[in-house]
Amino acid sequence: MIPLLSVTGLAKSYQGVRAVDGVSFEMHANEIVGIIGPNGSGKSTTVDCITGFQTADAGDVRMEGAPLQALAAWQIARAGLMRTFQTVRVYEQLTLEENLLAAMAQFDATNWLDALFRTPRLRAADSSARARARTLINMAGLTRYHDAPVGILSYGQKKLVALISALMPKPRLVILDEPVAGVNPTRIREIEAALRLLRDEGETFLIIEHNMDFIMNLCDRVIVFDQGRKLTEGTPAAVHADARVLEAYLGVRP
Amino acid sequence: MPVDATYLLQLTLNGLMLGLIYALIAAGLALVFGVLEIINFAHGELLMVGAYVMAFALPALGGQYIPAMAVALLASALLGFVLYHGFLARLRDKDFERSILVTMGISMVLLYGCQYLFSATPKMVNTEFGFAGIAVGSIKITWTRVIAAGLAIMAFAFLWFILFRTQFGRAMRAVSINREAALMVGVRPQSVARNAVVIATVLCGLAGAALAPIHLVQPIMGQFLLFKAFALIIIGGLGSMSGAIFAGLALGILESWIGGFFDIIWQEVAGFIVMMAVLLVRPQGLFGQAAVRTG
Amino acid sequence: MGRSKQLEAAGVVIAVALLIFLPRVSSDYVVGIAITAFTFTVAAAALNLVYGYGGLLSFAQLAFWGIGGYCTALWVMDAGGSFWTGLALAAGLNAVLAIAVGWPALRLHRDSFVIVTLAFSLLTFLVARDWVGLTRGPLGLPGLPAPTLFGTKLASTQSIYYLSLAFLVASLGVLYAIVTSRIGRTLLALKQNQPLGLAHGVSPTPYKLFAFAVSAALTGMAGGIQVFYLKIVDPSILDFYYIQAWLIMVIIGGAGTFWGVVIAGLVMAALPEVLRFSNELRMVIYGAILVVAVLALPQGIAGWLRERRIARLRATIERA
Repeated sequence: MIPLLSVTGLAKSYQGVRAVDGVSFEMHANEIVGIIGPNGSGKSTTVDCITGFQTADAGDVRMEGAPLQALAAWQIARAGLMRTFQTVRVYEQLTLEENLLAAMAQFDATNWLDALFRTPRLRAADSSARARARTLINMAGLTRYHDAPVGILSYGQKKLVALISALMPKPRLVILDEPVAGVNPTRIREIEAALRLLRDEGETFLIIEHNMDFIMNLCDRVIVFDQGRKLTEGTPAAVHADARVLEAYLGVRP
Repeated sequence: MPVDATYLLQLTLNGLMLGLIYALIAAGLALVFGVLEIINFAHGELLMVGAYVMAFALPALGGQYIPAMAVALLASALLGFVLYHGFLARLRDKDFERSILVTMGISMVLLYGCQYLFSATPKMVNTEFGFAGIAVGSIKITWTRVIAAGLAIMAFAFLWFILFRTQFGRAMRAVSINREAALMVGVRPQSVARNAVVIATVLCGLAGAALAPIHLVQPIMGQFLLFKAFALIIIGGLGSMSGAIFAGLALGILESWIGGFFDIIWQEVAGFIVMMAVLLVRPQGLFGQAAVRTG
Repeated sequence: MGRSKQLEAAGVVIAVALLIFLPRVSSDYVVGIAITAFTFTVAAAALNLVYGYGGLLSFAQLAFWGIGGYCTALWVMDAGGSFWTGLALAAGLNAVLAIAVGWPALRLHRDSFVIVTLAFSLLTFLVARDWVGLTRGPLGLPGLPAPTLFGTKLASTQSIYYLSLAFLVASLGVLYAIVTSRIGRTLLALKQNQPLGLAHGVSPTPYKLFAFAVSAALTGMAGGIQVFYLKIVDPSILDFYYIQAWLIMVIIGGAGTFWGVVIAGLVMAALPEVLRFSNELRMVIYGAILVVAVLALPQGIAGWLRERRIARLRATIERA
């Protein structure tokens, strides 16, 4: 079976420093995979290279067997790989609904002429996008902010907006870069439950996160990064029991 | 067409003179861009103000060149100080577009204010030297040009000394090479930025004051020179001062040669054509580092 | 939402009705000012599409204005064509030029886009002034004939007024359709957060080039109408003053705010004329306004009102 995402020998250096040094892993549909590792271990750079926000020096990234390296970031997104960012990114001056619609706009069969002349096809696409937006907004508990500019929301709420924006077009794979950093604990439980629900509906997630409880509760598999390399990989329990993981985090070496 | 050696030498000397003026303007523009990361649209008007101060100081001081020049430079330094503390200091980092709009507003106030007060009619300025000069073979060069060139070269030497031999010059270079790192090691961004603006303004005022007895003095004089200076800092690499200076000298000579042999339109267009070519082939400029910021 | 749309529509109907009525109650002098105010407003609104919505500070608008003027005039004077085909030609030529200049310029970073578009305007000025064979040099083309519509000469200031009013309404209609569509929303989204746009599958270049080309075409046609009102085109049509005026209209009206810029355009083009300021004094005041507005009201007056509305909204939601 062809994996949904396969990364082989990915490498990226900045001015001689190897940020990512030969990382390989695979993901299958309907999985939730976590990536953990100390700061500077190359997690975000790996995500940037996979999603086309940076160009890898070497390595191979494929989605269902199709190579992604030659594609621009927007092409990778259109291929069904959505992502969020470590520093929260939303369209501050657009309303919550507009934020979600903007995330969806490249994924329906309408073109520019439909947009300019408001054809029936566009109106149909718009109303189904609005319905989807409403569902996600309700799910996130942001109903009363539906028509408010996202700029007025709190940091944690903006993180939620970024997350549900990425979910809008029902992508094949969603990469979340620290989705719960700076989010309050009760909210984290809710996000955890929501992601599990979405997985049951068929969604696939790759999650970078420092919050160990979140990762250990949620993920089917955990990949541990250290110094630009994959240190180990396994079930949350196996990773938790691995002495090397503790060393990498605490910085002590035998 | 046989090329007359004297004619060519004459063109080259004229070009060198023009190039020194370009280099003075472009060096200041590059310095301000490097340290503050802004493009100063009022830069041309700073030159114009320098020229006007010279034009008023010269008759008042009985045509004495050096004292009038000193007045012009002092006025320029003061203008730079006001420009920084009154306006540029209020901009935040990364406010690239707002910096353009603010400096453009300042440029409009200076340019049209000058036109309102002194009319758009060009002024002629006389010095103690009149049209006297020195002769090199059959070529005659007026003293005002010789002194202007000498002052420009001295200004570059002085600039080099400040940047490489003084503490605040090193701080300026540090900020323009790596802003974050410089701030981390305790460079005070405010005073560095102010110094950069004042130095740039003085270089520009010097160019204007030196031009005053050579060319006509009019409010619009700065604007077109500024647009050329933009082309020069692109060619030299945004923020690279040596690049801007070399590009300025080269363009002055190139324009003078082209003007000597071809239609005038090619002389004016040369700089922009070179700029477009550089942008397409080497967007970071001839002397620039590969761009890190992609904003 | 529905009510604000109705208010908008009512406002437009009333304003157009008043403008249709204007020449009956005012002198040719006032009507002439209004013509310039209309072409300026179109140019400012077009700049708003590029800068306010697209986030691209373009100085090429000046070139498009001048090229539009020269193209229409030369088409009529030298090629013997009609004013109308000249306007269409100006729009088409400008759109092509916008893509030819914009495509390489967008590959560079934003700082360079500003300078490339500025250089394009200066080159256009140099061509207008120095390529005597094509443009007649500094003297320009005086004595442009009145356009003819269905066999009638539009010779009076009043008839040019209605022409430029119709152009204003049509242009603003096109721009309004764009900025309120998905395309406008995508432009705003890219301006606010381009990396997020990429992550949402948006290819930025086609959107920006589209905005640039549309604004170029409309600005060119505005320039064409302006020179046939003035009955002369010369290199002064490429004076830097024009782009400064439009930028101030966009800044004061609020970049990225449609009606704010339209109102600022109409008021700021007409007011100094009515107050009879000298040209220099007007530019000094404009410059001072620009400095103060950018330093004190970076979002423009409309943006300031919007921020106040948002603050109120935040307060209401927090109380709830």
